[in-house]
Amino acid sequence: MAGELYRKPIMFAIVATVVILVGTIVTMFYPMFTEGMHPKLDNLKPYTALQLAGKDIYMREGCNNCHTQTVRPLKTEVMRYGEYSKAGEFAYDRPFLWGSKRTGPDLARIGGKYPDAWHYQHFENPQAFFAQSNMPKYGWLKDRKLDPAVSESHMKVNGFPYTAEDIGGLAAKSELDALVAYMQVIGTAVAKKVAPAAAAAAEERNPLEGDERAHERGEVVYKQYCDACHGDDGKGGIGPSLTDTTWLNKEGDIGDGRIYEIIANGTPNGMPPYANQLDKDKIWSLVSYIRHEQHKNK
Amino acid sequence: MHDYQYDHQTVKGFIVSSIFWGVVGIVVGLWISIQMWKPELNIPPYFTFGRMRVVHTNGLAIGLGIGAIFGISYYIVMRLARRPLLFPKLARFHLYLFNAAVALAALSLFAGMNQTLEYAELEWPLDIGVVILWVMFAVNVFGTIIKRKEEQMYISLWYIIATVIAVAILYIVNNLAVPAGMTKSYPVFAGVNSANVQWWYGHNAVGFIFTTPILAMFYYFLPKSTGLPIYSHRLSIVAFWSLVFAYLWTGAHHLVYTPLPDWIQTLAIVFTLFLIAPSWGSVVNGYYTVGSDWSKMQTNYLTKFFIMGITFYGLQTVQGPTQAIRVVSQLIHYTDWVPGHVHMGTMGWVTMTTAASIYHIIPKIYNTEIYSIKVANTHFWLVLIGQLMFSITMWITGIQQGALWKATNADGSLKYTFMEGLAKNYPFWQLRTVAGVIFTVGMLFFIYNIYMTIRKGRALAASQA
Amino acid sequence: MAEDFDNVNIEDLEAKDTARKIPLGWLILFWGLILWGIYYLAMYSPVISGWTQEKAYEESVTK
Repeated sequence: MAGELYRKPIMFAIVATVVILVGTIVTMFYPMFTEGMHPKLDNLKPYTALQLAGKDIYMREGCNNCHTQTVRPLKTEVMRYGEYSKAGEFAYDRPFLWGSKRTGPDLARIGGKYPDAWHYQHFENPQAFFAQSNMPKYGWLKDRKLDPAVSESHMKVNGFPYTAEDIGGLAAKSELDALVAYMQVIGTAVAKKVAPAAAAAAEERNPLEGDERAHERGEVVYKQYCDACHGDDGKGGIGPSLTDTTWLNKEGDIGDGRIYEIIANGTPNGMPPYANQLDKDKIWSLVSYIRHEQHKNK
Repeated sequence: MHDYQYDHQTVKGFIVSSIFWGVVGIVVGLWISIQMWKPELNIPPYFTFGRMRVVHTNGLAIGLGIGAIFGISYYIVMRLARRPLLFPKLARFHLYLFNAAVALAALSLFAGMNQTLEYAELEWPLDIGVVILWVMFAVNVFGTIIKRKEEQMYISLWYIIATVIAVAILYIVNNLAVPAGMTKSYPVFAGVNSANVQWWYGHNAVGFIFTTPILAMFYYFLPKSTGLPIYSHRLSIVAFWSLVFAYLWTGAHHLVYTPLPDWIQTLAIVFTLFLIAPSWGSVVNGYYTVGSDWSKMQTNYLTKFFIMGITFYGLQTVQGPTQAIRVVSQLIHYTDWVPGHVHMGTMGWVTMTTAASIYHIIPKIYNTEIYSIKVANTHFWLVLIGQLMFSITMWITGIQQGALWKATNADGSLKYTFMEGLAKNYPFWQLRTVAGVIFTVGMLFFIYNIYMTIRKGRALAASQA
Repeated sequence: MAEDFDNVNIEDLEAKDTARKIPLGWLILFWGLILWGIYYLAMYSPVISGWTQEKAYEESVTK
């Protein structure tokens, strides 16, 4: 009886189809009708015309081949990238862009991590920020203008709200503008986790004070982490100068403990937190280095 | 003599076309492997890693893989049905359309028309083309099988039938999209749901392109070229049905620790582990078949291709499931381990078995012998060394990446920046390029051997005419 | 053409005397994986064991 199946191709094809459909229905088709597959966070907003254009460029250039957009709920991963990804963050992504390979870092929490200027300069020359980076340069995108008509049709297909002004404004924008706008919105529907203030911040004085070599150690760390934004010798660039006495846009010097805290926890306007990447000794050595450079400048 | 002839021209056309696209895909692969450690080789807009990687994967999966599958399946189906294809003209048109579609696919991907669904990157007009190609294939395969002159359907036909059905369902569902112009579309699925559909497709594309049709070749050409019959019919039956049943549950193992609901992830992991059994059903069947006379490994040059191929299939189908387990996934997911895994399957199992099938077919078509067994042996050892070197270096660097990403200092802070981890990959990425060159040279020996065999066959036919 | 298509006999492709044999080792693998699957499913299904990846994460950070 069972042997008959292998003599009847149509019957065989029907049985094979049914067998193939079982797993398909249980794990792919059925879940579509459950709520768990269509969640949406309350403060998730549809993409603006500029952001959507940026997302389209991200897809066109195949950025997903090297960057993921999902932080796994694993301790060190959350420390490195930020709060783990929530199902409700992706309701407007057609398709999802989680990726499958991290040749470059995850981008799920890139939005708001750096100022726009950082992105513009980094896209133009990633190696200026990280000498050993293997990311291609994307400065050529700034010479390509957006096409408002195309953007409008894409907004329509996605059903995102827009005004005539939004669309008209695109004519003056480049593809690089759009890509940066997209970078800045990724993952922003989830509130940034406020890093717990580093315990050492309470210490007003630098414990390395009196250590003659501390600023030299600090210089090594500075060159690795800081000079891309704050410039050679702390003279300033994308980020403010560290050698003057203006701190956080206010005239007047601040205490060692406060500088430590800024490095550890970052600031709301563009300085990323480093507490998870630098241990206490390294951060204090940076404070020593900054003080050393300040002193040289006086 | 017989009152009919097999359509050799179409079979040969597909084989030669697939070799051509294979060369394109491999050259692009070498190029992007160098881009990994030499970013100056990114030449915008067309020749950047992000655009070229999809040309590499599509060129080899569709151009080399599916091209060879079309041609070799036609060859197998005609023989097992004991009759020519039911629609020989359709098959010829199928060949032309296939080449046009692959050429357009490559150009469109260089141009950045990319849906960003892995292994389903082609935009909607080409998706329609792919579906038409598949329907043409299905019509001829089913038509020829239904009108066959041999009552019993042999194992290879089961696998070909399953391939035709599964790929059709997978491809159509995953590519459902709303067009926004001729070169852009947005899928109907969004967010988490889109991820679930994509990897249901993505993993089963591996299952029904890189597994079932290759098993059809294995079950046909192993006994044909060695003269040793397949060991156990019953094992073939159990392995076939459990394989096609279990495969479709497993896609979400690509989404472990993502926001996809836990139960779908867990089910996928369980069925992925189970897949070891049916996969090893074919491995065991292959070993026991040749086990009745191991001297074939020395006396018949093709035996070692098939045994090495099925061995890599066996290793692949143990390694893959291991990767699905949560604790392993934590470490190696998103690292270079994964390309190492993929390339053992494609370079070891798929290419090895397909090349051996072609070595069998081409001399048969021309009624001659292979040009040189020596060249074939050189080909064998070079692709074996190249592939092992590729996979092993990628496994090492993948484990290293995973370990560096999670390493912490005594006070709990992360020990390495992302860039420090990346910098440590460079020596391995350079070694990988060397491995790719060795593999490519091996493939050139293969192509030379096939070319010379065809030349010999043509000269023979001319002298007889 | 003297093609050999006529000697494609299924009898030549499949063994007769061993056709019904399934090696014991393979059967152990087959059933063993099914048993392991039931265990793993029970351990990691939210509705059975209560395990979720979020809970596992919370535990790992409070440790």
